[in-house]
Amino acid sequence: MHFSITSLVLALIAFLALYFLLNKYAFGPLFSVMEKRRELVLQQMNEAAQTREQAVSYVEEQKQALQTARKEALEIIEQSRQTSSKQTEQLIESAKVEASRIKDEAVRDIQNEKNKAVEELRGELGAASVKIASKLLQKEVSTDPAQEGLVDQYLKEVGGRS
Amino acid sequence: MHISPMIEVGGLDFDLSIILMLIVTCTIVFVLARLATRNLSVENPGKLQNFMEWLVEFVQGMMSSTMDLKKGKPFLGLGLTLILFIFVGNMLGLPFGIVTEYHDVNKATFFGHQLVNVVEEIHKVEAANPGKEVEVGVTWWKSPTADASVSMGLAGLIFVLVHFLGLTRNTKGYLKHYLQPFAVFLPINLIEQFSKLLTHGMRLFGNIFAGEVLIAQLVKLGSTGIIGGIASIPLLMVWQGFSIFVGSIQAFVFVMLTFLYISQVIDTHEEH
Repeated sequence: MHFSITSLVLALIAFLALYFLLNKYAFGPLFSVMEKRRELVLQQMNEAAQTREQAVSYVEEQKQALQTARKEALEIIEQSRQTSSKQTEQLIESAKVEASRIKDEAVRDIQNEKNKAVEELRGELGAASVKIASKLLQKEVSTDPAQEGLVDQYLKEVGGRS
Repeated sequence: MHISPMIEVGGLDFDLSIILMLIVTCTIVFVLARLATRNLSVENPGKLQNFMEWLVEFVQGMMSSTMDLKKGKPFLGLGLTLILFIFVGNMLGLPFGIVTEYHDVNKATFFGHQLVNVVEEIHKVEAANPGKEVEVGVTWWKSPTADASVSMGLAGLIFVLVHFLGLTRNTKGYLKHYLQPFAVFLPINLIEQFSKLLTHGMRLFGNIFAGEVLIAQLVKLGSTGIIGGIASIPLLMVWQGFSIFVGSIQAFVFVMLTFLYISQVIDTHEEH
């Protein structure tokens, strides 16, 4: 082993020169690129986190929208059910009313017709009875109003009984 | 063991193999780093860029285990340069070696400069066994970190940096810790600081140097004969594999200790 100060100094010079050259031409740019990459990764991670948050909030919104839609649909169904049952009732009610009205009318008509027919019959019967009576009683019974009234009275009694 | 080629220029000794290996190591590290950071991309990094980023994160991991990453940020480049330089340096001596042999004093020259220690060695060997042919091997290619001057230089750099940081950033705490727990411990604390410097550099040097010595011995064994040649191949394979491991571990340990020493002096909070 030999030790020489010249070699030591030369080694130092060589090493320091290498150090400055490397720092200037190799490590400086390399460190800056590494720093840039670090920033890029950080930024992308932040972006990813933001996107995730957004996605979560969107999903939450969608869920709520779905829930409200479901609620609304249920309400609509409920409403339509109610209105339909109400309508049915109304229809039934009006049908009943109509039916009873028609029935009443029919009853009245029948009554009228019956009355009319009775009236007619009565008139015809009166006339016919008067004719029959006059034919039977041509001699004794004249067609004076007193006798006709009597006959009418009898006939009324008959009609009222029938 | 082979000696290194030294020349004397202007009264200074220059170790040519160290100069060569420093240039080679720095070139390899710089080219590697430049290739890795040539087409930098944020979103689509290439293979080499990925490797470099892995290395950066590895060094950051080492740093975070000793100190606050924010405080240590200015030393990230230093740690990276250190680990690349030491690792590449450690690996360089493993695959092959370049050795030249000199028999004559007059031929031991390098571009007109005499290889001083080769000449010295030749004279010494001649004096020891006069009349015999002299053969002195000179290593040109080896790990730069297998030389005590280089590893101690690196350790000394860290030492100076650490104490400079201590004095400027944490003056009070730094000066106070020399008198901890009592003022009489001052010499022990001073010794501790210098032993740190020594162990820091010598650990690296010793591990790599020992590995290369053993490789050189195994190569020598391989050249002794057929049996030695056959025996040396598996041994060389095993030892070179182990040296790769040792070289990586030593690069790691050196940088780890650097961060540890830095963190010790820039930690402002007082625990004692």
